[in-house]
Amino acid sequence: MTGEIGSDACFTDRIEPGVDELVVNVGPSHPSTHGVCRVIVHLDGEVVTKAEPVIGYLHRGIEKMAENRTYLQVVPLTDRLDYVGSMYANWAYCRTVERLAGIQVPERAEYLRVIVCEMQRIASHMMSLGSAAADTGAATMFIYAFDQREKVIEAFEELCGARLTYNYVRPGGVSFEIPEGWTERVLQFCRDHRDGLELMDRLFFGNVITRDRMKHVGVLSPEDAVAWGASGPVARGSGVNWDLRKHDPYSVYPRFDFDVPTGSNGDCYDRARVRLFECYESCRIIEQAISQMQPGPIRTPGLPRLLAPRPGDAYDHIESARGALGVYLVSDGSVRPYRMKVRSPAFCNLALLPLLAEGHMLSDLVVILGSLDPVFGEVDR
Amino acid sequence: MWGKGILTGMRITMRNMLRGPITVKYPYERLEIPERARWAVAPKYDGEGKPKCTACMACVRACPDHILDLEFTTREDKSKHIERYSYEIGACMMCGLCVEACPFDAIEMSHDYELARLDPAQLTYDLLADVDAAPVKRARPATAPKAEAAPDEPASTEAAPAEAAPADPVGKEATDE
Repeated sequence: MTGEIGSDACFTDRIEPGVDELVVNVGPSHPSTHGVCRVIVHLDGEVVTKAEPVIGYLHRGIEKMAENRTYLQVVPLTDRLDYVGSMYANWAYCRTVERLAGIQVPERAEYLRVIVCEMQRIASHMMSLGSAAADTGAATMFIYAFDQREKVIEAFEELCGARLTYNYVRPGGVSFEIPEGWTERVLQFCRDHRDGLELMDRLFFGNVITRDRMKHVGVLSPEDAVAWGASGPVARGSGVNWDLRKHDPYSVYPRFDFDVPTGSNGDCYDRARVRLFECYESCRIIEQAISQMQPGPIRTPGLPRLLAPRPGDAYDHIESARGALGVYLVSDGSVRPYRMKVRSPAFCNLALLPLLAEGHMLSDLVVILGSLDPVFGEVDR
Repeated sequence: MWGKGILTGMRITMRNMLRGPITVKYPYERLEIPERARWAVAPKYDGEGKPKCTACMACVRACPDHILDLEFTTREDKSKHIERYSYEIGACMMCGLCVEACPFDAIEMSHDYELARLDPAQLTYDLLADVDAAPVKRARPATAPKAEAAPDEPASTEAAPAEAAPADPVGKEATDE
């Protein structure tokens, strides 16, 4: 048969004559596509011969919008990039602005940023694991993971007043001092979270159904991971030991003792399990950061309301929950950025989908997509 | 193996069954909102019920989405009268930058979260209308505004051209703590 989907002929929804294939359009509004991912899948029976992600359904032009706003006004926009891990985009953007304008950040602000970003990593990984579990039919794991995530989000709401779009990290510091008793509650959460992780590890990763669904599915070799620019848990699941917190240390990360968990097989199971182990490391970092943090200012004093950095450009990147998140800014000396470019890890990781899905069943496509953990706010921007 | 697995499963089930509900029945029961929760912008009033707003326009300039609009007239004695201070909640992303920019503590992010409206026209409303603005306590700087001079200077982080409105009554280096 001949597959014709709509009129957008730029994608390969056509089948060569004589080839016995079926074209299935997955998404863009499908619960298993983690957002608005559309995948054009070529099927031979039930086996995927070609899978092509079609992006752009959540494109809001944030990079262009940033050109019409002052440096501070861009911060709420960066919240909307990766809406599962808003703190990372805040921080990556603010680091670039600070590098561009030569701002020194107080030490306490750096510690607060580390604490909130490691909590954000837990929340983001819980979201990823929960939805990956829901894709494989494990509803209990979904609830357990989201229960843990809810505790982080409640702590964030108490800290900065919003549950998802925090607007917390600002150029030159952070917006709020921590409330009374907050650190104790966070430390208590870290203790409880380890028990929760233990339970989830046994419940989900020890489950024979999970193993059957995720092991040896979507195997990514370390060479391919490097060649395709994968980063974060996707690269580390393949055994590529690359973490910007260790290998290009920024902020106060060199002061903490933590490990970088890596997988060995590079399949969906390893990618998911790396995320689980990263949550343990995040708990360790949070505890060390809280014990090392000293009182002090949380914002650079004497900073003007309207930043106007010198003409020039700057790039800085951080390790987000999805990988290396970088922001490139060009300044022409005015109060608005001349150009902003976001290097989003979700976009680079999603590009692996055709490579990984080929030769697997259609139902495995959902698991592979879940293990790549794309967030479409960040893919499309 | 089977017996142990079932027992473990039942233990978790029993523990969750006996712990009571975590959800609340929303319209009848409400969760407590944290102190810093950011919802609709609301004006603040002083002890006598007069608005604390001085019509300095700092919030209007700070808003990333240009959804705040303040129209005022200046009388001969330099006092201001706010004609209308409109707010388009349908486009507000509740970032809180207007509240942080306010040098007079005249607006706040309220805890009013039930914002659904039947009519889209109700999504734009006036925070203040036809009221006298509060007098600015601090004296105006006597020097002329230096807005024109700034862009020609060698750019530095101090430079605040264009938007640095002459009406800004406080120093721009004020931090928001």
